Amino acid sequence: MEVYRIKPPQVIILIFLCVLVGLAYMLHLDLVDLFNESLIKLMMNGVLVLALIPMINAGAGINFGLPVGIIGGLLGLCITVNFRLTGFAGFFTSLLLSVVFCCMLGWLYGMLLNKVKGREEIAGTFIGLSMIPLMNCFWTLVPFQNRQMLYPIGGQGLRPKISLEPYFNNILDNMALAKIGAVEIPLGFIAFFSLICLLLALFHRTKVGRATIATGENEEFSRLSGIDIAKIRLIAIILSTVLAGIGICVYSQSYGFIQLYDEPLAMYFPAISAILIGGSTGRRAFIFEAVLGTYLLQTIYLLSVPIANEILVPEITEILRSLITYSIILYALLHRSGRRLSH
Amino acid sequence: MKKTITILLCFLFAAGVLSGCGSTVTNDTVTYKIGVVTPTLSTSEDEFRTAAMMAEKYPDIVKHITLPENFSTEIETAISQITSLADDPQMKAIIVISGQSGLLPALQKVEETKPDIITMTAPIWDDPVLMSKYVDVNLDTDMIGRGETIARKAHEMGAQTIIHYSFPTHLAKEMISQRKNMMEKTANQLGMQWVEVVTPDPQTGDGTGPMLQFLREDIPRQIAKYGKDTNIFGTNCPMYDVIIDEALKEKFMVAEQCCPTPTQAYPTVMGLEISEEDAWNWDKLNQMISEKAAAAGMTGRLGGWPMPATVFVPQYAIELAKQMIEDPGFDFQSLDSLNQFAKDTLGYPVTFSKLKPTEDGPALENYNVVIMDSILY
Repeated sequence: MEVYRIKPPQVIILIFLCVLVGLAYMLHLDLVDLFNESLIKLMMNGVLVLALIPMINAGAGINFGLPVGIIGGLLGLCITVNFRLTGFAGFFTSLLLSVVFCCMLGWLYGMLLNKVKGREEIAGTFIGLSMIPLMNCFWTLVPFQNRQMLYPIGGQGLRPKISLEPYFNNILDNMALAKIGAVEIPLGFIAFFSLICLLLALFHRTKVGRATIATGENEEFSRLSGIDIAKIRLIAIILSTVLAGIGICVYSQSYGFIQLYDEPLAMYFPAISAILIGGSTGRRAFIFEAVLGTYLLQTIYLLSVPIANEILVPEITEILRSLITYSIILYALLHRSGRRLSH
Repeated sequence: MKKTITILLCFLFAAGVLSGCGSTVTNDTVTYKIGVVTPTLSTSEDEFRTAAMMAEKYPDIVKHITLPENFSTEIETAISQITSLADDPQMKAIIVISGQSGLLPALQKVEETKPDIITMTAPIWDDPVLMSKYVDVNLDTDMIGRGETIARKAHEMGAQTIIHYSFPTHLAKEMISQRKNMMEKTANQLGMQWVEVVTPDPQTGDGTGPMLQFLREDIPRQIAKYGKDTNIFGTNCPMYDVIIDEALKEKFMVAEQCCPTPTQAYPTVMGLEISEEDAWNWDKLNQMISEKAAAAGMTGRLGGWPMPATVFVPQYAIELAKQMIEDPGFDFQSLDSLNQFAKDTLGYPVTFSKLKPTEDGPALENYNVVIMDSILY
């Protein structure tokens, strides 16, 4: 692994973050509280960002089809809630079911992406977009029995938001929560998140994992070395989809609601911005970049709105949020094509 | 459900066959249609189900279509859907129910091409003066009046502070900003503290996610600062899933929702299990909410209207359109006859008034706003 070099976007974001923290301090916002929340936000969104790594490394581009995996995860969650499984049993069942569904969806998704090699990003975007209306029909027609999930008036179709309160709300957030004064450190959640990071790192050390990276770096060379490119890419895409499914389970338990219908579409841009802010250029991604990027981006989100409300320019946060999210993606695309030209 | 649909289909088929036999009787009784436009089920359940129910009640009259799911980016589709309704020669009335802005051009176009079609909004939120000019009948809840009634109700419940959550695209709307001003004025008169917080905008950025996430983080902070005797009001319906959920945890007050209804947020957050038979039974639903509120120690701290405003207004609009077509002499401008009509058809006593778009300006004759007595859980 090459030495991590800090690049212009990180410098800008870091300066911006420092300014925000300074402002928060000056405005007497509760910094300890904000720190506690920033930790939760990191891990809550982190797995969804990690989900991008296998595909980037396999040379299948940034996973703009993240909603595919998210839908698999939502299916797992809904089935668990339908059978009213609570606590850790419920949460781990939902993870298990998500993995199963995501493997199937990821396989289909991977087959499709292998057919459109080189245009995975745009194809992924549209596969994600077209899954949504399909699933909207599914959510309204699926015959679930738990009435807590169904629309109040019609008695058919799932509600847009399903509360996890009676099931496994905040189960990871509160697992082994260590309190040092006002600082709350969710040790259990950190352990869970680290475990996923570790497993992903270990994957990259296996034979398949190394083949994945080789494929991403130089496909022609890998093919000549006897690597089955299509298979390797398929594995990476399935892994990416599975991680997205786990990611949405983790996100939902922290957020408190399962969000159906159009919500998966709101998830992938922030995730992609996060990994790009972390320093990935969409050609090769490291776990460290995902974690750093998520922390920076989510902390900026966390700090900017309360600060803007205090200094009475609330509109600015919206502009900044969109500006950061989209311009970072643009930067990465520019940077990447620049590099390709210079090769 | 399946059985009813089958029976309905059989009936429709039979009716089709019979009318084909030359029986003119059926043709004489129903010679008109009412077009009803609502958002999709996942966007807004109440309006959709109400229209679907009315389409079932008057299968030959009500034609129900839905707006695109992704309303803000597909407004052109929405407009062409509405205008295409007017192409049906039997169409006598078009009712648009959306609670969003940007659909007035469609009704304006209908008014220009087919002036004999009754256009009605229940409600849409464009500029009220223009709406009054181009639309025959506008119906809505009394937003500005509610600015006052909500503040008063919160005060009666014992609130010391009112927090108003909104975002730029909402605050730019005339009705919402006027309601906010009215609420602020009343709060100040009653000696309550007024706090305004702006959330991330769900209509410009990444949807409702960031807004709800912000509410999750901000509400505990605000309650820690202002105490439990605080009433929280948000201007956007999806906010209430988080607001009510936090209310049950942090024990603050919610006097009324922005669209007061027992069907929104309460069933989701409280995990209510409503059987199919109880679907339209508002008293039962209210009782279930009261029980859950009591279990959380929140009796008297949550409130709303006894039936959803978002069911009442659309249902009333459809009945009113039917009445106006069948009885051309019906005085739909008189407040008394509107109040009476509500009692006769839906059985709920309500108070209509004419909307005043500016505080000291004249009232708009065809813009009727309604307030229903609210209840506490």
